[in-house]
Amino acid sequence: MPKNLSVKVARVQKDMTQKDLAAAVGVSRQTINAIEQGEYNPTIKLCRAICRVLGKTLDELFWEDDFDEKE
Amino acid sequence: MKKNNLDEMQEQELLKIEHNGCWLAFWGLLAVMAIQMVMGVPGTQMLGEWIVFMVLALYLVIACLRKGIWDRHLKANRKTNLIVSLLAGAAAGILITVSNPYLSEPLDYVLVAGISGGFTFLLCFAALSISMKLYKKRREKLEQE
Repeated sequence: MPKNLSVKVARVQKDMTQKDLAAAVGVSRQTINAIEQGEYNPTIKLCRAICRVLGKTLDELFWEDDFDEKE
Repeated sequence: MKKNNLDEMQEQELLKIEHNGCWLAFWGLLAVMAIQMVMGVPGTQMLGEWIVFMVLALYLVIACLRKGIWDRHLKANRKTNLIVSLLAGAAAGILITVSNPYLSEPLDYVLVAGISGGFTFLLCFAALSISMKLYKKRREKLEQE
């Protein structure tokens, strides 16, 4: 799975650490780290919670382009 | 509902750990019973292991059938059942022959291996065929719900 840089960028733009984001959406820091590293595929429920906290849409944070889909 | 201290990723990780633990217990118990049989341990001394193994096996079968699940890799068809039953029969035939201390003549070995292996094959094939029918029936019902 490719790295999810969109989540990382949006988090940094909001001046949040992984720990802050994790606390805001109610998961562990390891889970946020795994999502950013592309090691964990979150449920739609968690994706929506992350989008809400970071003020982004699902497309902006979790849309995969053609290259990603082939992988 | 009990409060869950785990988030969704940790929950998945725990399920993986429990999955590995379950199959470790299953194959571990089977291996322990096989070794005990070969070493000539009386059946009564293996009763505990046997009960735990059977409860575990029955739970797995019943739980999977209720959810309409067969197997990750094997398909539910007669050919697969036949191959699996043949393997089980061969394993049982060898194990029972090797663990039998009263055999001396080559013909005895062949007879005991043939009868025990053949009987295990038939039982296994019958059990798999019945389970497969139940699975297909259950799956059809779940599809229609």
